[in-house]
Amino acid sequence: MPRPEHRPITFSIDGREVQAPENIMLVDGAKHGDIEIPVFCYEPKLGQPVGACRMCLVEIEGTPKLQTACSTPVKDGMVVHTQTERVREAQAAVVEFLLINHPLDCPVCDKGGECPLQDISFGWGKGRSRFVEPKRHFVKPLELSPVVAIDRERCILCYRCVRFSQEVSEDYQLVLLERGAETFVGTFDGHPYVAPFSGNIVELCPVGALTSRPYRFRARPWDVEGAGSICTLCPSQCNVDFTVRDERVMRVLSRNHADVDDGWLCDKGRFAYQSIHVDERITQPMVRDGGELRPVSWERAMTEAARGLERAGARTAALVGGQTTNEEGFLLARLMRDGLRSGHLDSRAAGSLPLELHRALSRPELQASMTDLEYAHAVLVIDCEPVDDAPIFDLRLRKGVRRNRVKLALATSRPSSLEDNAALSVRMQPGGGRWLLVALDRVLSGAGEREAAAAAAAAGVELERVRALAETLRTAAGEDDSGEVVPPEVVVVWGERLGYGPEGEQAIRALLNLADRLGMAGRQGAGLLEVPGGTNGRGLREAGVLPNAGPGLSEVPGEPGLSEVPGEPGLDAAGMARALGHGDLSALYLLHVDPLRSMPDRQAWEHALESAGTVVAHASYLSDALRHHADVVFPAEAYAEKEGTMVHPDGRLQRLRPTIAHPGGVRAEWRVLVELAARLGLQLDLSTGMHATAALVDAVPFYGGITLEDIGGRGLRWPEQAAAAAAPAAELGPFALESPPDEGAGRGEDAGHGDGTGRGDDGGLVLGTYRSIWAAPEVDVSPALQFTRARQHLEISPTDAQRLGLAQGQAVTVVNGHPGASVTATVALRHSVTPGIVYLQDGLADDSANALTNGQPAPHVEVRPA
Amino acid sequence: MSSPHLLFANIDEPGLATRAVYERRGGYETLRRALRMPAEAVLHELEASAVRGRGGAGFQMGKKASFLPKGSMDKYLCCNADESEPGAFKDRELMQKNPHQLIEGLLITTYAAGINRAFIYIRGEYALQADILDAALVEARDAGYLGERILGSEHSVSVVVHRGAGAYICGEETALLDSLEGKRGNPRLKPPFPANQGLYQGPTLINNVETLSTVPHIVALGGAEYAKLGTETSTGTKVVSVSGHVQRPGNYEIELGIPARELICGLAGGPPEGHSIKCWFPGGSSSPILTADDLDLAYDFDTMAKAGSMMGSGSIIVVDDSVPLVYVALKLARFYRHESCGKCTPCREGTNWTVKMLERIDAGEATPMDLDIMASVQHHIIGNCLCVLGDSMAMPVGSMIEKFRPEFEAHIETARTRSPWGTEAPEREPALVPGAA
Repeated sequence: MPRPEHRPITFSIDGREVQAPENIMLVDGAKHGDIEIPVFCYEPKLGQPVGACRMCLVEIEGTPKLQTACSTPVKDGMVVHTQTERVREAQAAVVEFLLINHPLDCPVCDKGGECPLQDISFGWGKGRSRFVEPKRHFVKPLELSPVVAIDRERCILCYRCVRFSQEVSEDYQLVLLERGAETFVGTFDGHPYVAPFSGNIVELCPVGALTSRPYRFRARPWDVEGAGSICTLCPSQCNVDFTVRDERVMRVLSRNHADVDDGWLCDKGRFAYQSIHVDERITQPMVRDGGELRPVSWERAMTEAARGLERAGARTAALVGGQTTNEEGFLLARLMRDGLRSGHLDSRAAGSLPLELHRALSRPELQASMTDLEYAHAVLVIDCEPVDDAPIFDLRLRKGVRRNRVKLALATSRPSSLEDNAALSVRMQPGGGRWLLVALDRVLSGAGEREAAAAAAAAGVELERVRALAETLRTAAGEDDSGEVVPPEVVVVWGERLGYGPEGEQAIRALLNLADRLGMAGRQGAGLLEVPGGTNGRGLREAGVLPNAGPGLSEVPGEPGLSEVPGEPGLDAAGMARALGHGDLSALYLLHVDPLRSMPDRQAWEHALESAGTVVAHASYLSDALRHHADVVFPAEAYAEKEGTMVHPDGRLQRLRPTIAHPGGVRAEWRVLVELAARLGLQLDLSTGMHATAALVDAVPFYGGITLEDIGGRGLRWPEQAAAAAAPAAELGPFALESPPDEGAGRGEDAGHGDGTGRGDDGGLVLGTYRSIWAAPEVDVSPALQFTRARQHLEISPTDAQRLGLAQGQAVTVVNGHPGASVTATVALRHSVTPGIVYLQDGLADDSANALTNGQPAPHVEVRPA
Repeated sequence: MSSPHLLFANIDEPGLATRAVYERRGGYETLRRALRMPAEAVLHELEASAVRGRGGAGFQMGKKASFLPKGSMDKYLCCNADESEPGAFKDRELMQKNPHQLIEGLLITTYAAGINRAFIYIRGEYALQADILDAALVEARDAGYLGERILGSEHSVSVVVHRGAGAYICGEETALLDSLEGKRGNPRLKPPFPANQGLYQGPTLINNVETLSTVPHIVALGGAEYAKLGTETSTGTKVVSVSGHVQRPGNYEIELGIPARELICGLAGGPPEGHSIKCWFPGGSSSPILTADDLDLAYDFDTMAKAGSMMGSGSIIVVDDSVPLVYVALKLARFYRHESCGKCTPCREGTNWTVKMLERIDAGEATPMDLDIMASVQHHIIGNCLCVLGDSMAMPVGSMIEKFRPEFEAHIETARTRSPWGTEAPEREPALVPGAA
């Protein structure tokens, strides 16, 4: 899809010659001449202008009526007046009209002081009203939702919130009810407006009609300061502005970045800041003493940790969570490799990929950017549910489909919320992504029917659907005049889980083959975009937090003695769990990760934690894992307190800036790691956070010596920089791919189960898992988000439910045959779920699906009434 | 009287609403003839007739049809049958008594403009007329006048009657489109104009019932011949609804350009005995009022515009000296307040404010200064809204204050002395009474 090009033109505004890009709206064009035209309803993020508020009326020579500047594109030679008597009168009249029904309760209004209506009344209004009649009254304020309050008296009916709901998040909940002066914003039958992006309407509202309930009456604009950083609660890494009052985060606003978040936030990002200031937060170092964790001094905690780690030495494993910064990951890798001589560290949840493939996936020519999602001819989303895994991706995909007619193709197991927007949706078996890609590869490469059919069958998809998918992608750009297919720009958004497990390697090869068949390499606007399992998944890999790669995806020096486990440079996460369980490893370092909650094989990790001699953890909240197994717990910094960098899934280095002071005894974690390393005999010689960044950048050649100043507030995509040439070379395929083990084999075998039982023989069900947007420790402790807290549901098709005699809302126990492994859940009937498959959430604190998965993508389970 | 009856020919013949009678009177012959002509030729006849839209805006119908892009994309014709303006009831009679005339005109227009899908958007209150149209469409379909390849030609067209849910605003063409698409009936921003991006984003032609009903006559007479009727810039005949204080209210088909007096005092019989005309709305309740002095003006588009008003949809409302003008203004303002969609600020707030001010005037809580405020509010509405609904209230109310200010002032004064204490008002210092404000 061609991106809009705007040639520069010259027009005249208030007697000034102004250069501006052609066809941008006059409101924006005027800014090029430093002229402000007041607006209420105009917000380009919301799509086409509506011209409802009439605030931006201006005079254009040659047009008899006043025109709305928000909907008039600038043209060469246009002559515009914004200061004539006629314009001033019309604008003042609109202000007067708007204030007719607007209560002047500014002194007690949250918006007071940062209110466009106040500002515009002051700047463009007459300063007095001729309206003496009673104003319109509503009951106020009402709860529009648990997080948003609505004051309908203050509403000026600018349509912004309704347009957001209808045209951006497409939840279609907010509507205008009644008519004329009685119009008000509401929902069908007064239902609460609960949606993943609902909080954005608070920020969109130009008056105090929609306010954040957690923020209501907490501060006035002159009490607070804004501090820019990024949100680290998911891989979207939205740019945010923390509103800070007295070292407390009071609110999170978007720091509009068109290439990252497009100015939107999800409700988790907007409201889970509450998790920073809760009593549950660990603010002191803790050490196990007499069987219980007790707060201790830093000195004692350091000594204990150093002692435990030193004792284990190379028999230490480290697991790193997604909210870890590049610097922390890098320093921990130094500590592990150079301090303890252990190579057992991982930031991925399951299975390791050959270094070769990590390098291939990082090749600059294969990288798609966030904006590419908006302009590609086609986007394939595979093995990922954007609204859960990286919510802002969801909005970007919707935008591309709605505004630029991007062809969206979905290949998921669980029904996706984007299905209504998709040109094509292919439903596969849980974990079927690998075989689907193989089948796609065979269809695109023109391989034999038999081979394609076998792979499609293994994915649980009809071959016809695979063909349709291939055709959708191949012909997304249409044909040229001679009937030749125009090479399309295709972006593949893939979930990291595609590369999990023993089959991950083949899945990634198939993915690279797809990129090759569709000619993505080096094509502007095309490429791969991974949604990592953790926020900074990409950055951690680039920083060398992998068992088989050092910083910059370098070879790990193969010197003997680096690892005491023979035959391996380092163990991956699953290997660590096994080795700890067997006693081959004895210490475990947990950096911002709770393995029982987030690893796909809970039982293995339970065993590993029990067997580990020493467990050192950095954490913000105590979980069962820590409460029972940790020996030393260092308090982790909250994301608003951190200094460092992260890497966005599209390769953008972004900067976290400390916006509030550390509470209690919390210390900067990079400093904790440096000190711990020192106690282990490794002098890292870093005295500021900036030094830590510099040390990381030095170690990663393709970052090209970038500094924090270069990254600045907007970030920098390294694949676009000259230094990207230093990225390690890798073969990009096409690779030879394996065939399914046995054509037409049952799914049980595909899923790696040796028992050979397929569904239908014994009425068993295949379990698929997903992680809800709300399944996060930060949500668990945020008071405002309690209503969203993920609870375990068993999503099941009505057919299966009927067969098993289960009813909606019924409590059930799901088991997988292993003793002690069970999950309790309530039944949620879903017509869209394929019979034979059930879905449970993972990432929950209790009853998480990982108790049943054992690291397998599609285990068989049985469901029993509880 | 003297004008030829085109639209109203045989209008009261029993059974004209059935295909049999309509065909006996020569119905659908013009469609047959048109389908044998090249589509461009039919379009040319429409352009040559210079017939102006009968819905209110008065834009040349043939020219509008020619704006539609050529090509094979989905194009739409929407017949605007949402006749909701107070004072307008001509479309109702045309649809009720002669639905096939409309259908024939609609079919010829789709052929001329290369359109394959047509909708008749009819206001929900016209349930009887909608039923009649539905029945007529069934008859027409059975006779092969619509559907696939009609009458053996290459032209296919489907027609759907869609009933509105009772909103005046849905007569505004873009709100009509939104409503037809199943959305809240709110006007859209123009441009894009419907001819380029209308229903379902496709090129759309929107015409009034009367305009489309005229089409068979234009094609039958030939555009040039039709253009000889009426005046140079207001060609043809027009059905005018006359209501209010006249002795014979009703629909009258006239040749455009006859003196208004002939219509109001001649055809409609003038005001009741013993009363005189105070003012009249020449084009429905949304047109600025004219006074008895203007009765000798020619009734056509341009003369009415020149007199500071408009012919609009051709609906005359006569107000005689028996009614205080404040009541007329209030009635009217309340209607537009009720019907304002609320999308744009000046209309939503301005209509509301105007009603409140008029209520105050009538309640005796106003001063003459309020008339200035009210006039300025009307001034602030006019031309500044998203669609013309706001103007539809502001123009007549504004013209009333302008032309009858002394009556408004007297009304204020009378109401003030009546209220708030009625007859028990405390004695005032005599010196303060004259000119008290």
